[in-house]
Amino acid sequence: MSEPQPSPEPLAPPEPTAPPEPTAPRPDSTRTGPGRLLVAVYGLFALSASARAGVQIATKFGHAPVAYLLSAFAAVVYILATVTLTVGSPLARRIAVLSCSVELVGVLAVGTWSLADPATFPDATVWSGYGSGYGFVPLVLPVFGLLWLRRVQRRATA
Amino acid sequence: MSSVNGAVSTTIIVAGLAIAGYSLLMTALNRRMNVPLLTAVGVLEILLLVQVGIIVAKLAGGERPASVPTLIGYLIATPIVPVVAAFWGLMERSRWGPAVIAVAGLVAAVLMVRLHQIWPVIRV
Repeated sequence: MSEPQPSPEPLAPPEPTAPPEPTAPRPDSTRTGPGRLLVAVYGLFALSASARAGVQIATKFGHAPVAYLLSAFAAVVYILATVTLTVGSPLARRIAVLSCSVELVGVLAVGTWSLADPATFPDATVWSGYGSGYGFVPLVLPVFGLLWLRRVQRRATA
Repeated sequence: MSSVNGAVSTTIIVAGLAIAGYSLLMTALNRRMNVPLLTAVGVLEILLLVQVGIIVAKLAGGERPASVPTLIGYLIATPIVPVVAAFWGLMERSRWGPAVIAVAGLVAAVLMVRLHQIWPVIRV
């Protein structure tokens, strides 16, 4: 086993404005440990939400435009969360917190909306019924994401 | 043909759930990725490729599901899942490596159910 070295951060662009935190952990700390599982599940949802939105919008957009646009929005949020959790720099972590927060608000809002107004959602989105079509994973995922990001942040500032 | 097809789906569901259970046990017992688990993922991958082959043969035979693009998407994504999970899990030298494999096992099982929903001729 070679000595673990600071990651060269292959995915992150250089951040000239943000000074390096003196006690920061390795920049990839959001994607190791439990973060490894979190990134895997986020990647899965990024893929499935993108594919679903892509097929829906390309083949039958007029059928349920609101639902399909929300699918696409969810896909963008999942992609953003996946990438920023993988990168893990201080800037990426801030974007990840924002993504997870938007995701949590989104799943609660769209979940409530889909139950209150089923006519707008003839086809399910990732977030309708609070993610019931996906085993409610979309509901718990942002909670775990935010908890994990808080833990990494505390470790970084400790 | 259809009975073979159903047998493959059922085998994948059983194998996927078994891999998920074993992986979660490894995570609970604080074990890292090991050769038996990787071998099991390899077997799952082969089963998924067989399933994709069977479905492609059906498409080549002229049969069509309600939504061809959706099915094509599933055919592309399905065999990628265990491969990506294996690489991502191997990069992790802790109990969370097997946890990634657990997700792949569950996803393989769910994908078989979804394939059946997309195209009911794909038996479970």
